[in-house]
Amino acid sequence: MKKKIIIAIVAIATMSFTLPSMIAIKIKGSDTLLPLAQKWAEAYMKLNPGTSISVTGGGSGVGIAALIDGTTDIATASRKIKMDEKLKLQEAGKAYTEKIVAYDALSVIVNPENKVKKLTREQIEGIFTGKITNWKTVGGDDMTIVCYSRESSSGTFEFFKEHVLKGKNYASSCLMMPATGSIIQSVSQTKGAIGYVGMAYVNSKISAVSVSYDKGLTYVAPSLKAAIGKTYPIVRPLYFYYLTKLENMLKPAMDWVVGTEGQKIVTGVGYVPLSAN
Amino acid sequence: MNTRKKLAKTLLVLFLCANTSLIFAQDLSKEDSLSNEFNMVKNDVSLLKKIKISGYIQGQFQVADSAGTKSYAGGDFPTGSDKRFAVRRGRVKIAYINTLTQFVTQFDISEKGLSTKDVYLQFTEPLLKAISLKVGVFNRPFGYEIPFSSSLRESPERGRMCQILFPGERDGGASIVFNPPKTSKYNFITLELGMFNGTGIASDFDKQKDIIGRLGISKSTKSEKIKYGMGVSYYKGGWNQGTKTYYEGIEKLSNGVYAFTKHTNLKTGVLATRDYKGVDAQLSFETPLGITTLRGEFIMGIQPGTSSSTASPSTQPTGSASTTINGTATGNVNIPANSGDTTITVTLPVTGTATTTTPNADMYSRKFNDAYIYFVQNIGTTKHQLVLKYDWYDPNTDIAGADIDATGVTSANGKLGSADIKYTTIGIGWIYHWDENVKIMAYYDMVKNENTKITNFKKDVLDNVFTLRIQYKF
Repeated sequence: MKKKIIIAIVAIATMSFTLPSMIAIKIKGSDTLLPLAQKWAEAYMKLNPGTSISVTGGGSGVGIAALIDGTTDIATASRKIKMDEKLKLQEAGKAYTEKIVAYDALSVIVNPENKVKKLTREQIEGIFTGKITNWKTVGGDDMTIVCYSRESSSGTFEFFKEHVLKGKNYASSCLMMPATGSIIQSVSQTKGAIGYVGMAYVNSKISAVSVSYDKGLTYVAPSLKAAIGKTYPIVRPLYFYYLTKLENMLKPAMDWVVGTEGQKIVTGVGYVPLSAN
Repeated sequence: MNTRKKLAKTLLVLFLCANTSLIFAQDLSKEDSLSNEFNMVKNDVSLLKKIKISGYIQGQFQVADSAGTKSYAGGDFPTGSDKRFAVRRGRVKIAYINTLTQFVTQFDISEKGLSTKDVYLQFTEPLLKAISLKVGVFNRPFGYEIPFSSSLRESPERGRMCQILFPGERDGGASIVFNPPKTSKYNFITLELGMFNGTGIASDFDKQKDIIGRLGISKSTKSEKIKYGMGVSYYKGGWNQGTKTYYEGIEKLSNGVYAFTKHTNLKTGVLATRDYKGVDAQLSFETPLGITTLRGEFIMGIQPGTSSSTASPSTQPTGSASTTINGTATGNVNIPANSGDTTITVTLPVTGTATTTTPNADMYSRKFNDAYIYFVQNIGTTKHQLVLKYDWYDPNTDIAGADIDATGVTSANGKLGSADIKYTTIGIGWIYHWDENVKIMAYYDMVKNENTKITNFKKDVLDNVFTLRIQYKF
């Protein structure tokens, strides 16, 4: 009996020495990056059982704020870090590293029953700034336009305002939604709705319009081919931000994300890989 | 028998089915219960998230050039001391922030005691979400340095001018704030305009109310490598004089000495005007050397004060106290035998009534200007920062230091004095950001006053101060 007890104790002690220590990584931020980050996390954890990765959204601004507060290891963002945020990181004594991990084609979406299938940048600007309020103005049915946007903490909100609306403000009638999923749901359920989401979110419940940046001469539909071929005009980098002091811990994961295996997943989810740019 | 067996089997099946549905019902009710509990916790958390508690404490050690130094680097040193430990600030701020409304209160706790800093409410209109009303005790909306938090500032104290013109930074009043939300392209504009007591946190002592306002912008470039801002500020107010006499303007007397010109109003209570105009600018840019910040502010205007001070008053300014004795005095007078002693002191017991009066002070109106400029350099992406600051306060731009002289000035004019002396301060400092909570600062203030012809200020006073401070912020 004593022998059995001793053997059991030795076995347990040996196991505890040989069990690998867990690395826990928290990722938080961009809703646009959420599907990609989740896929990366699943695949990486399968290959590295000693690593636990949690992924949450909330918006680029939320992610970077969490990086400043120290409640996330990696902040994902669909926009560049702002000067205010850099100053806050400096004030907190935190040096950071920025890494572009993929690219995204931003899609303008409408309800599938909407017969408008293409819009110029000027028309999109007119719609989201409230100057165009009826679909008949842009070749559609006589139907009020219901505009959906992301909230101001979103990097997608910032990018769309800067690059598509050319800095103009959104119409006060535009409905601000907290997440990409809620835009998809609202547009799919409202005939006169229009919104914008990352290309990876486009599904059969909504319809992505072709966009022209040359006043209607050419229209390009959002697709991986068009994004890689640089014919689709609304393409933006996607970022990971992390503290430089975590470089050693995160290096294996970062190398994998920007490496061959990680970039294969980028294409699979519907984003544009680094090699295309 | 077969019927009984069949009946028994049927009853058994029925019994099992009933139990199964009971199990399902229990599982469902467990799920409902968990879901209800989760929703309750979620609601509680969302309520608690509206309460924000923050604060910071600054513990420091200071060394002055000489004992009893008069200083704006955290207050005067005691007469016999040129070194001190102190809790310079111990702030606790509690805010309840709802979607369009908020309540804020802030206290200061140190070895000096407990005092109120901010107590105000703010609510925003629901239509444009651009206009807010703020009521209570809060920072005067003037310039950039006043509302800039002491926990973030790269020097231990605000410039001399802020401490003199806006003691305590806060005032009681109400203001309208125009600042469009992030969704608006005008989000970079902030306009705040309010009416205040003008006496700081103290209760008002007269009928006058002051108008204070600032219009500012703050933007970043698209590259997010440069952030810039600027603002213009205006202050119009004053306080009711307690006497009929005031001094304004400088004239040269027959003996060559300069003095204030004396004026007399027909009545007391005439307005002593405070009139300030200010401009401020900020620039931060990123280079391979790190983030560099330049920040500056210039204020000019008219400041009413007394003969001995230009500080904005929180109570009606008073002159020297005098005591009148009504009664009889009896006793002996001792005259020292030493012929060289010209002072005869008479101390007698008094029977009667002693009445002490402290008259209101005559007002001295001075034109002033002041400014500061900061240069802050982050050392790459390290935790180190270097700071250089230059500021001046000229309380009386109508007179140069060399002409400040009180010799032969009679009561027909107002004497120039220490309140008219210009000060320049150069500050140099090093800051180490230990982590998101802790910051260490070493800073040296080199203070220089104009040389004048009045006692104690014929040359530069020894009043430089070194500060070593540790701050914990949460």
